[in-house]
Amino acid sequence: MTRKLYISVLCFALTTLSLTEITAQEKFFRAIGTPHQPKVEVSWNRYYTYDGVADVLQKIAKAYPNLTRLESIGKSVEGRDMWLLTISDFKTGNPDRKPAMYIDGNIHSNEIQGTEFSLYTAWYLTEMFDELEFIKELLQDKTFYIVPTINPDARDNFMKEPNTPHSPRSGMLVLDNDGDGMAGEDRFDDLNNDNHITFMIRKSASGRYIKDPLDDRRLIEVSPEQKGEYEMLGFEGIDRDGDGRVNEDGIGYYDPNRDWGWKWQPDYVQRGAYKYPFSLPETRAVADFVLKHPNIAGAQSYHNYGGMILRGPGAEEDLGTYNREDIRIYDAIAKKGEELIPGYRYLVVYKDLYSVFGGELDWFYGGRGIYTYTNELMNSYLYFHKNEGRANQEEELKVDQYLTFGDAFVPWKEYNHPQFGTIEVGGFKKNFSRAHPGFLLEQDAHRNMAFTIYHAYHTPKLSVTDVKEKNLGGGLKEITASLYNERLMPTHSSQDLKYKIERPDYVSIDGVNVVAGMVVENEDFNEVTEQVQHPSKISVANIPGMQTVKVRWIVYGNENYTITVDSAKGGVVSWKK
Amino acid sequence: MTKYLLFFLAIVPFSQVVSSQNNYPTLTEITQRLQKLNNHKVATLNSITKTDGGQDIWVLKIGTGDLDNKPAIAVVGGAEGFHLVSVELALQFAEELVNNYPEKLEHTTFYVFPNMSPDAYLQYHSNIKYERRGNVAKIDHDRDGTVSEDPYEDLNKDGFITQIRVESPMGYYKIHPNDTRVLVKADRTKGEAGNYLVFTEGIDNDKDKKFNEDLEEGIAFNKNFTYKFPVFEPLAGDYPVSQKENRALIDYLFEQWNIFAFVTFSPANNLSEPLKFNESGAKKRVISSMLKKDVATNKMISELYNKTVSQKAFQQDNQGTDGDFFQWAYFHFGRYSFSTPGWWVPEVKLKENDDDKTETKKPSSKEKPIVTKESNFMAWADQQNLKDIFVPWTPVSHPDFPNQKVEVGGIKPFALHNPPYNLVDSLALQHTTFILKLAAMQPKLEFHHVKVEKLSGGLSRITADLYNNSPLPTHSELGEKSRWLQKIRIDITKDKKEVIAGNTINLIDKLDAFETKTLSWIVKGSGNVEIKAGAAHAGFAVFNVKL
Repeated sequence: MTRKLYISVLCFALTTLSLTEITAQEKFFRAIGTPHQPKVEVSWNRYYTYDGVADVLQKIAKAYPNLTRLESIGKSVEGRDMWLLTISDFKTGNPDRKPAMYIDGNIHSNEIQGTEFSLYTAWYLTEMFDELEFIKELLQDKTFYIVPTINPDARDNFMKEPNTPHSPRSGMLVLDNDGDGMAGEDRFDDLNNDNHITFMIRKSASGRYIKDPLDDRRLIEVSPEQKGEYEMLGFEGIDRDGDGRVNEDGIGYYDPNRDWGWKWQPDYVQRGAYKYPFSLPETRAVADFVLKHPNIAGAQSYHNYGGMILRGPGAEEDLGTYNREDIRIYDAIAKKGEELIPGYRYLVVYKDLYSVFGGELDWFYGGRGIYTYTNELMNSYLYFHKNEGRANQEEELKVDQYLTFGDAFVPWKEYNHPQFGTIEVGGFKKNFSRAHPGFLLEQDAHRNMAFTIYHAYHTPKLSVTDVKEKNLGGGLKEITASLYNERLMPTHSSQDLKYKIERPDYVSIDGVNVVAGMVVENEDFNEVTEQVQHPSKISVANIPGMQTVKVRWIVYGNENYTITVDSAKGGVVSWKK
Repeated sequence: MTKYLLFFLAIVPFSQVVSSQNNYPTLTEITQRLQKLNNHKVATLNSITKTDGGQDIWVLKIGTGDLDNKPAIAVVGGAEGFHLVSVELALQFAEELVNNYPEKLEHTTFYVFPNMSPDAYLQYHSNIKYERRGNVAKIDHDRDGTVSEDPYEDLNKDGFITQIRVESPMGYYKIHPNDTRVLVKADRTKGEAGNYLVFTEGIDNDKDKKFNEDLEEGIAFNKNFTYKFPVFEPLAGDYPVSQKENRALIDYLFEQWNIFAFVTFSPANNLSEPLKFNESGAKKRVISSMLKKDVATNKMISELYNKTVSQKAFQQDNQGTDGDFFQWAYFHFGRYSFSTPGWWVPEVKLKENDDDKTETKKPSSKEKPIVTKESNFMAWADQQNLKDIFVPWTPVSHPDFPNQKVEVGGIKPFALHNPPYNLVDSLALQHTTFILKLAAMQPKLEFHHVKVEKLSGGLSRITADLYNNSPLPTHSELGEKSRWLQKIRIDITKDKKEVIAGNTINLIDKLDAFETKTLSWIVKGSGNVEIKAGAAHAGFAVFNVKL
């Protein structure tokens, strides 16, 4: 329709447009699993700066106005907008009332690819909506809230300024890390001006290392009785403040993933904690959004690295929070994840990784009752289908020799250091090891997205499956409604039930004169719990996954009626007679 | 501007009337008194935020000279909105300090936060008076999906929320054997049946058998901090430091590096008696006991308090509650932290023979008389001949108990926690003295035994002893672990190249009470050298030598 209009109006456009169409048809053949002719063209083998991310989001929002809403949920420390893209079929109900999946990435600024994985998810869902029945139904039922980066300032710093693979990790607030009353006075120094902070080594009579004669990239430690040639001097830097230490007070340092409001602990217990929960504008923006969106039932945060699907608790002290009922749900979803993402393992933070107080996933679950995972993206398995562990130098040297052909390593080169004298600078680049090489990015993004789609699919889905009427005589009638939750997750996690985090589900009947209302605990033996106040609107504490809950009213008269189930995390459904 | 000043002068006579008042001040009167203090050169008044109720949270910063680099004490009032006396004590401390002790500011800076719960404080001056803790936030305290659906009701329309008692064989309260006005719990272990049900004054609006469980108030300042935050409890909220008041205060405090101690006027008391040391709690990763050295410091300050403040401790069993401010200041901010209610109902020794107010049936001499907070208060009120502190039990009709005898009555709100206003002045003087004595004990860095030795080749060796001339360590034991206390930093004004041995900047983790550290440098060249040591909360020491 629109096209015809354009043709008649603009001849020039006609030629250009049909030309593109012809070339697209002739040049490409559809690969299964990937949007074939996306409205928004994105390369998934490179990384995007903050501006790049915003650009992709804006293009998606513009291309799919009926599926997306782009908003800023707040400003970062340096004043950047924190973009959130809501994805749902906006024509089938208010997205903020549908069961929702929240996804973010890049809370640690150097852990960049979570952003691309989130973006890929947004792109895939919108581009496939019209192509796949499954995705169409998914977006009719559910909502995705996607914040590709929740640390936008330091993401740009990681990319644009000299850094190691591990820095800044923090956001861009600069704190006094060595307790001398000055903040950030002794940062890294990019001695060789290559935008990477690599290592400094120096020839020394007491050095304990030599360069491997077969591969001079590698330093090897000599045995105790042998004389070495080199000593290690740490990451590139100069002692700028004259306290005899190098690089001891850089950007940050605090850890945005220690700033969340569940069993939060101060810095002396949990290094990296800032002042109090949500004392950083970025985490506060996310928390405020989540508090205003009780429809979020599942959540995912992307970190790197190691190939892990993590759940809480972050600390052993919080073991009691994760109870058996909820772990059953966690296990069911994450074990599917292990299948979908080969090489990734399902682990528990406090016992398989390290202790974290005040982490994001613990607040989402402990504080909001939302089933939440953190995926540690990128792992050794992706290189040669072997699990060689994190930061395996041998493997990384091999990768750079045979797969990336020297792109990942800065060869050792002499440099004159004002304090150390003649040194050599070199080593792996900041965008290697933790970050995927380009050729591995898209596949891992797709697999991780598939895991979050499985997670989102299993947020509650409610329906009124059966309504039975029984005549009680004297104009009275008994109406019994069965409500079914056809997915894994309950409308209230058991953490939610324990603290009454979210309101109960309301099941109401309209159009009839209600005499009494009750929850049917056991229909066979007529065990019921009456609700004396407001019997037309029955409060149901929970509708468990794959289970039915029954509600009964005694009503007077014979009018037609509507039954509505209104659940914060299960959505709103109606049944009409 | 001039007009405004004239107007201000014109109303002075009225404010004279205000200052000789006999009741706890209104928020407007508090603000006026603070603004009056703000006219002094040494004091600066700032509003750090406005509550959702539109009330200012004031801080009065009092000091002279380089006031950010002098050790400071922060004085906090109104941690609880019903604790009127705490506001007055903080306020009068500021007035005393500014008017009568300006010389103390030579060494110490003070921060006074007179009222952290103004939204709740307002309830005292409202038409319906009750002991309120929460601000104006809209909170679903019982988490049932409906906000504040079961507040108090003033059933007898006397303007006070007191209690209701319902005659019932199912009751768990009985009349106090010595005082018919007071109810006590029936002792079920002795087989006693009670005869009264007791509730706060109101109706069970939502028919859930609970009275007044979802109040028309918001979050309590003193239940919203991170230490042992009582998540999801009524008045606490969903996460800590969620309220403007709490956040603004903490944000402000994190910028004031010079605070070494807090004195909070709040129901908790670690001044009559120090906090107890619990070894296993102190050893845990998530510390739940004050650390050993800090308990010793607390004990020392507690002795000072008991010598300075005349009132003897009685029923002072609150040494901190979950999510409160005073524990936060120590456990999560690393500062010395002291709290006192400032006033409590004194112990009344019951004379057994000639008390005609008690019931005719005297308890047998073997039985100990039952002393509750309420019975002791009534006895004290009688002794003091206090009027207007009790509402006699009066029958009302109550919709929840249609065929039962229901009476409204009891001790009036605020009376248990706040002395009659005429007692406040002497309390304020004593507490001012205490705070000033605490200030006199502050960490004090000094250099001693400064020595310059000439070495050959134009080199000099400088040595000096850095001494903490104070019974307080520069850092609390817990504060040593915290990044939010600065280390003691020693600077030498010499170019790095001229310092042959030693660094131009040195950091020391802390100095204990009366501890000495010897410092030395070998330097090249001649001229003046300044050496400065200290941290904002410990003060600074400086010396100059000529090479």
